[in-house]
This record gives sequence, C-alpha cells and structure tokens, in this order.
Amino acid sequence: MADDGTASNRRDPIKSSVGNVAGQRRRQQAVTVAKERRELLVRAKRLCRVGTNGDVEDACVENEMMIDEEQPILEAQASKAVEELKSAVQYQEKGAMQKRVIALRELRRLLSKSEFPPVEAALSAGAIPLLVQCLSFGSPDEQLLESAWCLTNIAAGKPEETKALLPALPLLIAHLGEKSSAPVAEQCAWAIGNVAGEGEDLRNVLLSQGALLPLARMIFPDKGSTVRTAAWALSNLIKGPEPKAAAQLVKVDGIMDAILRHLKKTDEVTAIEIAWIIVYLSALSDIATSMLLKGGILQLLLERLATSKSLQLLIPVLRSVGNFVAVDPKAILTILIREQNTEESIVGVLAKCLRSEHRVLKKEAAWVLSNIAAGSIEHKRMIHSTEVMSLLLRLLSTSPFDIRKEVAYVLGNLCVESAEGGDTKPRIIQEHLVSIVRGGCLPGFIELVRSPDIEAARLGLQFIELVLRGIPNGEGPKLVEGEDGIDAMERFQFHENEELRVMANSLVDKYFGENYGIDE
Amino acid sequence: MAMGMTVDTVGELAFPVWNPIRRRFPPDSPFFASGNVERELLAKQVALDLTEDEINHLQIIVETESRRISCPIAGCPERLKSLDHFEDHYNARHTASCSVCSRVYPTSRLLSIHISEAHDSFFQAKVARGYDMYECLVEGCGLKFKTYKARHRHLVDKHKFPTTFEFFKRTQLSKKRREKLQRQHVSKLKHKEDKEEASSDAMEVEDKASVDGLVSALSTLTTADTTPSNVSFGRRHGRGLTFVPRSVHREKRTESSSAPGPTN
Repeated sequence: MADDGTASNRRDPIKSSVGNVAGQRRRQQAVTVAKERRELLVRAKRLCRVGTNGDVEDACVENEMMIDEEQPILEAQASKAVEELKSAVQYQEKGAMQKRVIALRELRRLLSKSEFPPVEAALSAGAIPLLVQCLSFGSPDEQLLESAWCLTNIAAGKPEETKALLPALPLLIAHLGEKSSAPVAEQCAWAIGNVAGEGEDLRNVLLSQGALLPLARMIFPDKGSTVRTAAWALSNLIKGPEPKAAAQLVKVDGIMDAILRHLKKTDEVTAIEIAWIIVYLSALSDIATSMLLKGGILQLLLERLATSKSLQLLIPVLRSVGNFVAVDPKAILTILIREQNTEESIVGVLAKCLRSEHRVLKKEAAWVLSNIAAGSIEHKRMIHSTEVMSLLLRLLSTSPFDIRKEVAYVLGNLCVESAEGGDTKPRIIQEHLVSIVRGGCLPGFIELVRSPDIEAARLGLQFIELVLRGIPNGEGPKLVEGEDGIDAMERFQFHENEELRVMANSLVDKYFGENYGIDE
Repeated sequence: MAMGMTVDTVGELAFPVWNPIRRRFPPDSPFFASGNVERELLAKQVALDLTEDEINHLQIIVETESRRISCPIAGCPERLKSLDHFEDHYNARHTASCSVCSRVYPTSRLLSIHISEAHDSFFQAKVARGYDMYECLVEGCGLKFKTYKARHRHLVDKHKFPTTFEFFKRTQLSKKRREKLQRQHVSKLKHKEDKEEASSDAMEVEDKASVDGLVSALSTLTTADTTPSNVSFGRRHGRGLTFVPRSVHREKRTESSSAPGPTN
C-alpha cells in the first residue's frame, strides 16, 4: 500500500490493514503455488501439450500457456466442456462422431494449456466415465486419441487425480495392441506412463492388468516417437522398488536384444529412456544384469559416456555403469582392466564425469570409482596411476559435501587392501597412502570429521587412523596435528554418537598421549 | 615406553579400521534422489521453458527441504538447514570456553559449573565447610553433593554415566613436565591391576604441579577412584568432559570395581 501521506489519519489504518491482508494473502498464495509448481516439476508424470499425431493446428497453444488465466474461469470452462461431451456422447443421430470429437477436443485443449489444468473441475463434472466410453472398441482413431490425451493430462497431476483413471486402465492397455494406430497407441502409453509414475500401488494394478507385455513390444521397432514414449512408460512401470516387474520384463522374448540395439544406435532422446530401463534392470534383476553383461552392455555404456554431452543421457548411463560395477565384482572388473587403454577406458570416462560441472555426475562417478577402488590391487593401481588422482584431490577440498564424501571413499579405498576373510586386519598400501597424503588430502578428511553427518565423520576418523598408523617414520601424528586434527577429534567429547566418541578418544589417547613429542 | 602399551592392542581391535567394501544402493535410495529430481526437471524443461538456472535453483530447494541436519551434540535439539548453518550454530552454541584455562564446554551451564569448581576459591571454601556444592551435571536434576566423588557416583548410578567419566581433566603439560611425571609414574604403574577397560573414554593424570593447588587435591581424589588401565597423559586444549547423554546405555565393558590403588 502506498504511503502517500496525504490520506487522512482517520482512513489510513483501515487502508493499510486491508492492504496488508491482501498483500499477505498474495504472498502466501505465491508460496503455495511455488511449492505446488515445484512438486509438479519433480513428479515422474508428464503433461502432454502437443499431440502424438503431431497435432499443432493450435498454433497458439504455446502462447496460451504463458497467459495467466484465472483459475476459476478455466474451471468453469472445463465443467462446461464436460457437459458438452456428455450430450455429445448421448447423441445418437447422424454426425454424432463429429460432435464427440469436437467436444473432446475442447476439453483436451483446456487440459493442455496452463500449468495447472482444471483437472478437479473436470473430474467433478464426471469426465472419466465419458472418456472411458469414448475409448470403446471400434471408435474412430481421432476419438480414441483425444480421449486418451485428456486422460493423460488428468493423470499428470495430483495422486487422487491419477487414481481416478482406474476405470480407464483396461481399455488404455487394450489400445496398446499392435492393431492400434501408432499415435493412438503412443497416447495410451503416455497415459499409462503417468499412472505408473504415481506409485507402487498403481504399478501393481497395471501389472496385474497385463500392461507390461504390450508396452514392451512397443520398443521393438528401430525408431519413432512411439518407441521413446513406450520406453519412458516402461521405465516408470518397472522402477520398483519391488523387483517383480523387472523380472517379468526380462522374460519378454527379444527384449534384451532390443535394449542393446537401442543403446548402441538410437538417437539420444530415445536412448535416455532406454538407459533408465537399464538402470532399473541392473538394480533389480540379477538375471537381466548377467544377460546384459554378456551382451556387451558395458562397452556400449562407456561409449555413450565418452561421446554424449547431454546431461539427461549421462545420468542414467553413468548410474547403470555404477549398478553393474556394484553388483558383480569379478566378471566386470576383468573387462575393465582389459579395456584400460582405449579411449573409452572406464577411468577416463569417469574422469570426464568428474570434470563436468554437474553435481550428480560428479557424485555418482566418484561412487563408481569407489567401488572399483574396493576391488583388487590391480584395480587400485589402475586408478592411482591416472590423472584422476589430481581431480579427486581437488574435489575433496572444493566440492559440495555429498561429492566430498564419495571422493573420500575412493581415496580411502585406494589406500587399503581389501581384506579377505573376516579376521585379518586389512593392510595399508603405504605407497598409495603416502602419495595421497602428500597430495594434500588431510585437510579435507579432517573437515569431514567436523561435519554433523555421522557417516562422514566416521570416514574422516577412519582415514586419520590410517595416517596415524601407516605413514612411515611415525610422521602421521605430526601431520594430523598440523591440520588441527586433534582439535577436530576432541569435538567428539560432546557428540551424541557413542561409537564416534570412542573412536576419537581412542585415537587421541593412543597417538597423542603423554609420549607425544617426547622423543624429539 | 612402558605406559599404556599393553592396552594398545585392545584399543586397536576396538577401532573399526578402514575396510574397502563395495556399496550398492536400491533404485529408490536417497543416494539417487538428486539424480532422479534432475531427470524430471530436465524432462519438463522444454515444455515449461525453464532455464538452466531455474532448474539448478529448484534442485537445491528440493534437496534442502528434505535434508535438515540435526545437531549431533548430545542434548542439543537444533535442526539446521545446511552444513554452513551447522558450522555457525556450532561455533555460537557449543564453544563456551573458560577464559582461565581454555577448556571448552558444550553449554554455558557446564562452563559455569566448571569455573566454580576449578577456579573459585569461594567455592572451595564452602566445600571445606561442608556445604553441598557439587551440582549434578544433568540439567534439571538439581541434586548437589559434598564431594566430587559423591557427585560422580550419582552420575554413574542415577544417570548411567560410564564409570570412567571425568568432568575435570588435566591440561596438556609442557614437554619437560611430562618427562618428569613419566619418570615418576613408571614405578607407580607397576602396581596397578590389569583392568579390562576397552574404551579410553576418560583418563586421569596425577598432576601435583598444576596451577591451582586446590585443583591438585581434587585430582588425587579422582585418580584413586577411577583409574582405568589404559592411562594416558595430557591432552591438547584441555579437554573438559566426556559427556554422555541420558539415553546412552550402560557401557558394555565389564564394570570392574576400581581398586583404590595407592596414588602417592
């Protein structure tokens, strides 16, 4: 409210209070909308704005998105559109089909425009039963398409709205069949993808209704947007965390070949969704993992990592590599060493990810490296002998916390032999420890000790123990002291976690006791 | 060196040394959360005309909202928004330090208790007259005791503190002093019993030559009471206390009754 100073004292208080309240309400609304917007953006569902048949006759669709339509108007229009549809469906005379398509199209447009389509209004007006009717067998393609499109966008929002699609699922799944026209099948796949993206319950419903097989078949062709949409929907369907959908997918004849084929050749946009399928398969199905490895997937993944610049593709490809490495140590790691000198050597490719500016890539690449570094001495040497070391040391000092933690795992794993059998204390690889410490890693580890994250603090203390124990000539304690390590450890006196307290105390007692400094 | 060496191996075994293992995460693990968020944001980027900046901004907001950090200091209820906030909070709230001897305490209450007990002659005078001066360290308990030892017993019995807990610890001595004490102690340690203390939670130093004469009288008391077998001498920055929250279970190691060995 403007304080122009000319208003009389009598009126000012009322004006300001009204202004205040309205202003507050606007701000609150902005916060709520922002939160909803964020949730919408982060959901695994996708709104359909351009038809699968390439329908762009609405040239102003893009612009209309930007117009800030008042929600109530939109909702009223939606209710009206549903009413129109109802009468169109009931109409039995000549030209009924036209009427239906026109009514459907109007509803579809309303549901495709703004960021928050008037879904609730449409549902309250009874859209679902009508849309289901419009999906009946033998209906013309245009009708099927528009109806599936409406359902797609209804399912793209809140959980309750997505669940409202339950009655439509059997028909949507039926229209995935090979007899359907491609745009229709694709639009139905999209709707199903949104439903699958909602949650595990709906995924189970879809599975029990037989959605997996027809969807899987849709990715057999070499190309086309249908492949991409179906792959995305499939990835939503198998994401678990229960492994049964992934297990079902593995059994589909020829699916592994199709996946490998696409990973090798297809355009990046499709490869993205295929890569996500691989992420889930490698995480949830051991059978899939071994089949894919036998089919040479690791090399294909590394090639993609080496050549692609698309973050969207790099993320799932990197994660797939990570999943494979985490699962099967011996089989994979022999391959890894063999490939070491090629352009797409795994360490080289991971170094590329570490150099990237994207947090996710850095963090997950470090994770993969840490698992490789947990392998045999050859694997540790493989990493230690490359330029990746200077990258890691730099990241330990400068990057965000979650990346630093992963890098810590790599560096520590490089310094210790993996213990065989439970009782042997793992041996320190002095050469690696000395060079890494000389590279300046100690401040970074001591910083981790200070963090409130239990896991990170534990890592820091464990590495300090390695330094204290393993640096030759008893120089460890001096080094640790020089970086304020004792101070960091003494913080644990008051720490909630007993294990950490004991760990820190035992180190200080053992290495910085009375004897400390006397022998100089 | 004779001191503490026998217990070193025990200490080593107790410390969980670094052991490289492969780490595998399920697809819905929080470890992958930021990558998953990124996937969805990027997919909607074109349709909604989001800029890369907006995406990064959104990423950060989504992550921070789900990842508040609880302050790990025992008894502190704070939850912080980020690591930087944690550092600020820690420096502001958990570094109450004594201006006399530089010991650091996690709360101002404990600091003031320390100051009274360690640096206040008035306090000692009242103790000498038989008043109950030693407060229970647990906030809200309210009980007071005539001696340090009695309070210690109360902490162990009522509040489940470990028997080796010591509120008052010596500062690190100069090298010369340490050498002198070391020579004195070699003979004394030969008399000590073999205890089973696995943890080195709290150690005691017998310090006759400490700054405060009254303080050394205290130290005699405590040493006699609870000397653990892994003795360690001196520490940097003067450690204040080993503070154990009420929720901590009793220490698993055998609570061997401390034999009141001779300290002089």
